[in-house]
Amino acid sequence: MRVDPSYVSNLVGSLDQAQGNEQQLTAELSSGVSISSLSQNPVASGENVLLLNQIQQDDSFTQSSNLVTGQLQVADSSLGSVVTELTSAISLATSANNGTMNSSDVKSISNQISGILDEVQSLANTSYQGQFIFAGGQTSTTPFTTSSGTSPAVTTYSGDDDINYLATPNGQKIQLNVPGSQIFLGTGSNSVFGALNSLVADYSSGTVNTAQAVSDTQALGTAMNYVSQQRVTIDNSITQISTASEAVTSDETQLTSAQNNLMQADVAQVSTQLSLAETQQTALEDVIAQLNSSSNSLFSKLPA
Amino acid sequence: MGTISTAFSLISGALNADQAALSITANNVANANTPGYTQEIPKWQENDPLTINGVSYGNGVTETGAKSLRDSVLAERLDQQQQLASASSARLTALDGVQALFTPDSGSTSSKAGDIGGDITSFFSSFSQLEAQPTDNALRQGVLSSATTLAGDVSNAAASLNTQRSGLDQEAAGVTSQVNSLTSAISQLNVQIQSTSPNADAGTLEDQRDQDVSQLSQLIGINQITTENNGLSITTASGQLLVSEGSNYQLTTGAAGGVTDFFLGGSDITSQLAGGGGQLGGYLTARDEDIPNALASLDQLAYNISTNVNALNNSGTDLDGTTGSAANPLYIFNQPTTAAGSAANMSVIMTDPNQIAAAAAGQGTGDNSNAIAMANLQNESLVPPVATTSFSMIQNLSATTALGGTATGSITVYDSLGKSYDATVTYTNQGANTWNYSIAMPDTVTPDTSVANQMSYTFGAGETVDPGTNLTITGNAGGGLATITAPPVVAGEAVGAAGPPPTGYVAALDAAMTAKGITGVTVTSSGGVLTIAGATATAGSVIADPVASANATGILQFNAAGTLISPAANVSGLTFAGLSDGAATLNLQWGLYSASGTAGGSNDETPIDFYSNFVSTLGATVSGVQAENTAQNASVTQLQTQNNALSSVNLNDEASALSTLQTSYQAASQVFSMLNTIMAAALNLGDQTTVA
Repeated sequence: MRVDPSYVSNLVGSLDQAQGNEQQLTAELSSGVSISSLSQNPVASGENVLLLNQIQQDDSFTQSSNLVTGQLQVADSSLGSVVTELTSAISLATSANNGTMNSSDVKSISNQISGILDEVQSLANTSYQGQFIFAGGQTSTTPFTTSSGTSPAVTTYSGDDDINYLATPNGQKIQLNVPGSQIFLGTGSNSVFGALNSLVADYSSGTVNTAQAVSDTQALGTAMNYVSQQRVTIDNSITQISTASEAVTSDETQLTSAQNNLMQADVAQVSTQLSLAETQQTALEDVIAQLNSSSNSLFSKLPA
Repeated sequence: MGTISTAFSLISGALNADQAALSITANNVANANTPGYTQEIPKWQENDPLTINGVSYGNGVTETGAKSLRDSVLAERLDQQQQLASASSARLTALDGVQALFTPDSGSTSSKAGDIGGDITSFFSSFSQLEAQPTDNALRQGVLSSATTLAGDVSNAAASLNTQRSGLDQEAAGVTSQVNSLTSAISQLNVQIQSTSPNADAGTLEDQRDQDVSQLSQLIGINQITTENNGLSITTASGQLLVSEGSNYQLTTGAAGGVTDFFLGGSDITSQLAGGGGQLGGYLTARDEDIPNALASLDQLAYNISTNVNALNNSGTDLDGTTGSAANPLYIFNQPTTAAGSAANMSVIMTDPNQIAAAAAGQGTGDNSNAIAMANLQNESLVPPVATTSFSMIQNLSATTALGGTATGSITVYDSLGKSYDATVTYTNQGANTWNYSIAMPDTVTPDTSVANQMSYTFGAGETVDPGTNLTITGNAGGGLATITAPPVVAGEAVGAAGPPPTGYVAALDAAMTAKGITGVTVTSSGGVLTIAGATATAGSVIADPVASANATGILQFNAAGTLISPAANVSGLTFAGLSDGAATLNLQWGLYSASGTAGGSNDETPIDFYSNFVSTLGATVSGVQAENTAQNASVTQLQTQNNALSSVNLNDEASALSTLQTSYQAASQVFSMLNTIMAAALNLGDQTTVA
């Protein structure tokens, strides 16, 4: 059978293909990305979407955890200060009740405990970035107010029992707050404000009902321990967030590496392929030049 | 003399023949680069020999004309393959445009622009961040901003797809005039060929016709039928007549449904053309199949994200303490009414970031539970599964069953959130061909243990604890541990009845623990959530009974032949409400009179899964068409090579033929010259000078 006389056009087709290949490889080298369109690797393209989603979720959690850690630390430090204040209140109450103080000293101690109460109330009304952190979900309302119309005075809570959580990428929930009522107005002898208000009332007249004062001082001690217990929840959350952040960061590193492997061009491999494609192109060009040369035509051999 | 005359005749014939052959060669060389030109070769015909006295003498050769080296079967095969290659090539070009809208995000910042997958993640992540500080204005603004990016990219992609679709529509319509002019030219050529060369190859006229048919093949899928007298009829690939010898039928266009439809003789042949091949087939496949498919996926994505996010935001409390209502809905996205067109119309209508309802309904504005729910939408099924299950009788009832005996059958059913349940039908024989039935659908409530030392069970509205529950609680009792199992449940006992003091199931659990001496474990309930805190261990799920509608129990009456006579029709409107996962209602359709039923399947594709599958599918489609196009082009090249090998002009061949013919001509002319000399000698009778 005769050969196709238009072999040059076939060769030009091959040359086009080689050049297209070179362009693709050059684009991979310059962008560093091996998959620039879905059809190059449909499965990897789909996988890439999922990997990026997980990476971004991890990234987002890391940012969120930074935000909430600040708030949790403020809560923890406030509760730490509350414990300190309560310790000094207990010490003052005990000293007022040791029978050595005169009426004016006792009144003075009542005033000092009242001052501590204000301080504790102020700590219970701590806000973080404009939001009250011990108000449950009612973060825009000052949670604690004390009405001195009665004796002992009454501290009321305007927040609610709402607890917020932060969801980790794997679905775990980390508690972000403890409602103020649970910390400062616990039931029975666990009420910080109840005990403080009672002590202020106990010593305000200068005369001490020793049994009552001892009982109220003990109640304050119990309430203080209760605050410490609630503080543990906050501390646990800080630890959990820190642990979750570490896990998420490590996960993110692995996912990023997997995503890089999937999408990034292997420079050494692509360079080798490019070099091969260039050689192929040069060879094709030479062949075409040779075949297309007029001296190859039989016409050139015919006598003029 | 007679012999010399014959020799003259012979040699002048040879000279004529060589001359004609040289002309053919010259014509071949001149047309070597003319598209569609078919190489011609001289046809040599031996003249009838003379027979004298029984001896046969050759009478030379005549050149009877040129013959085109043509293989019509091969040419038609090439045309057919060309139709396929043109179709896949046009479709591929269109698909390349489509996939360029969804370029994979390599992970670098620049490649994220316009990436819908990244937008989806960013949008839901913005809710995750809002969980941290639900009242923060910057984070709220972040939600709106990521929503705007998502809506913008989705609507841009949809708009681009629509633009590409109308571009293809115009291109397809543009093909019509080319098809019509080609069919008209072919019909005219048919007339010329049939009149000039009805019985033989018509040479360049046929070249022209072949060239036109080849061009037509690139535009549209066709079939060729050779008719008598060297005529040619052409139909579309699906059989509609385009050219019938000297007549041709024009393809016309008309607008239908926003696109161009194609008509032939009054019939709409658009769908046939789409599958037929050629550029037009490729354009139409992309216009009517590929792009609408991509748009439908985007629409579904946009519709479900918009409606689900809107519904959740509307059900929560915003920063101003407002909960959405029908009159004043708290919608983030433009609320679509149907899936179609959702992507193109996706936009953010919320302008005030305070309207993002991070808090659950009735909660303070610092609550973040609705933000968690909205962030969690990214892990939930995008497309709600079928929440209606049709089922059959499930169980055959036997007349031999003892009175009061039962038969049961069960079927797995799904609610609209994809949770599965095992619905059970219990039949109890009442005698006299009467059976009572009872359809139960236990809702298994698994504990949420995400908070340390705490288990909570969320019951649906109105759900009661099923006596079949297997909850156990282990807690400290005196010096060691003690365990209680679920206490007896009073039928219809509520889970979370108002207290204190504890009532309902909470009271029952409390009493059971007190009896065992377990301390430090508190059981509370609020809004259908049963919380057990401080327990060292708990085990087992609680079974709850959703609220069943009428017809969940009833009577089946059969006649003596075992045919059901009451109820007289299939039972529909069977629902179970108050499901623990919050799905509105689960519907059952009991096909008492149908042979079989199907359980609705669940679809657990999250938005990002959906998008991932969408890009994979699109990529696979493009890749498939690429492979198809490459194979078809290779096949076209192969056929073209075969055809060229036969029909194309090879200059070397021509040079060789030229040389051969020239030599032959020279030889003949020398013989002629010799004959001339001999003739002169004969005429002069040996005298050299009279006639030279």
